[in-house]
Amino acid sequence: MTVAEIAKQIGGVVFGSTADADRPVTGGYVSDLLSDVIANAQEGDLWVTLQKHVNIVAVAHLNSLAGIVIVNGRQPEPDVSVRAAEERVPIVSTPLPAFDVVGILYGLGVHGRGMLC
Amino acid sequence: MFRLDTHVHTCLSPCGELDMHPPGIVKAALRAGVDAVAVCDHNSAENVAAVHRAGRKAGLAVLAGMEVTTEEEVHIVALLPDVESALTLQSRVYRVLPGRNHDALFGLQVIANEDEEVLGFTDRLLLGATTWSVETAVAAIHELGGLAIAAHVDRERFGIIGQLGMIPPGLGLDAIEVSVRMVLPVARAQCAPSAGFPVLVASDAHDPKDVGRGVTFMFLEQPDFSEVQQALTGRNGRTVLGGGRPMEDLSLHVLDIAQNAVEAGATMIEIDLTEDPGGDRLVIEVRDNGRGMDAATAAVAADPFFTTRTTRTVGMGLSLLAEAARAAGGMLSLESEPGQGTRVKATFRYGHIDRAPLGDIETTLMVLLAGNPRVDVLFRHAVSGREFSLCSMDVRAALQGENLASPQGLALLREAIRSGESQLAG
Repeated sequence: MTVAEIAKQIGGVVFGSTADADRPVTGGYVSDLLSDVIANAQEGDLWVTLQKHVNIVAVAHLNSLAGIVIVNGRQPEPDVSVRAAEERVPIVSTPLPAFDVVGILYGLGVHGRGMLC
Repeated sequence: MFRLDTHVHTCLSPCGELDMHPPGIVKAALRAGVDAVAVCDHNSAENVAAVHRAGRKAGLAVLAGMEVTTEEEVHIVALLPDVESALTLQSRVYRVLPGRNHDALFGLQVIANEDEEVLGFTDRLLLGATTWSVETAVAAIHELGGLAIAAHVDRERFGIIGQLGMIPPGLGLDAIEVSVRMVLPVARAQCAPSAGFPVLVASDAHDPKDVGRGVTFMFLEQPDFSEVQQALTGRNGRTVLGGGRPMEDLSLHVLDIAQNAVEAGATMIEIDLTEDPGGDRLVIEVRDNGRGMDAATAAVAADPFFTTRTTRTVGMGLSLLAEAARAAGGMLSLESEPGQGTRVKATFRYGHIDRAPLGDIETTLMVLLAGNPRVDVLFRHAVSGREFSLCSMDVRAALQGENLASPQGLALLREAIRSGESQLAG
């Protein structure tokens, strides 16, 4: 499952590096504390958040994440999109809240990396 | 030399205690020996003018401020030139602050005057977030001539590093603030790596007993906004010397005792710190050549209600150090004779669970020497056999006639302390 395919399933629009939206998603992580994401998100994860500050691009790049989903209809500012394109990070903006996004992701076979599953 | 607590709340903040009314804050600040406080309620400045007036009556400098919540849920402390600009910021913040407060859930938001009277309540959701990004908030503060300080950067929630992973490069902050949860040397290493921001310590008090629990020492002519602004930008000799927790950090007890020595006319002060974790022992010794005291005075000198000072209700240094030593399985001894100076020695069990942290020794030396550039200070710090010693006469000699309290002097002093202390840590 790629970032672009997931974007379609959650009614999202791709910003930033659209060219990299064909990247495979191998897991998922949800958090709005960027320090927590740096510490815990894994390479290949799709990161679901409501943060849209430019630092999300740096965090995604740092952790080699597959991409970012921004929830609740929030959209990245133009300068954030430009930065994301430069750093090759696809950003999906969806009108859905985080809970529904994660529910859909599980249905699509994208899971977290917790110990229970 | 001034002690400032640059971040206190009032009863307006829903999480603030009701006795954080304007005169209550002023009284608590004076009691804690603070020279100035900045009133920084969440997203509001309704009580700034009243605290300012209460402060003027009682002789406490009060700076106008606000703690702005950005859309990323980062707290930015704004210090503003005057009450008017704080109210202008408030009107701009109110335009971007959605929601209504729910008293039962979040608490009352009390607008009070300087006579402890309740004037009313605000029903805006002060605990909510504005729709401003951190960049927009900093720009809005700067547009009004204010200073933008990242609040409690050591806290995961609402601290800029926790919320945003790092301080966004290029964000024009004027300083970063560390809470009372962390000692300054750790904060400098973890939260301000090479960014070069001045680091402040503030209480973030919501309760009168916490006002002044964290303070920043600044080298100023007087504790007002313009001077603080110059200190944060390092202009005209004004500077931030350090900070800490006066009731908790042993380093600040040492500072108090050294300042007692200066008041006793000492021209030479020796400070010895010996940390011996292997032998489970910490020893602090301060010797001076001041006028000393007779046996009767020496016997009561460590009593908290004994003081020769008129500025505070309690004489802090000795009694606090004695209490800290006893709590950690040690003791305080004091030897003094009229005309012979004074020797204070405190011992602690190093690994005792109640042993207070040493704190920031850099602050102790900077404040002591900036305030008393002609006093000779001999400092020795030993940790498990490694040793760092610093002699203020050597620093003065290297300055070739330049005053130790000049910008060059203080920079050289700071560099000498940092390099010596860092070798001890390594």
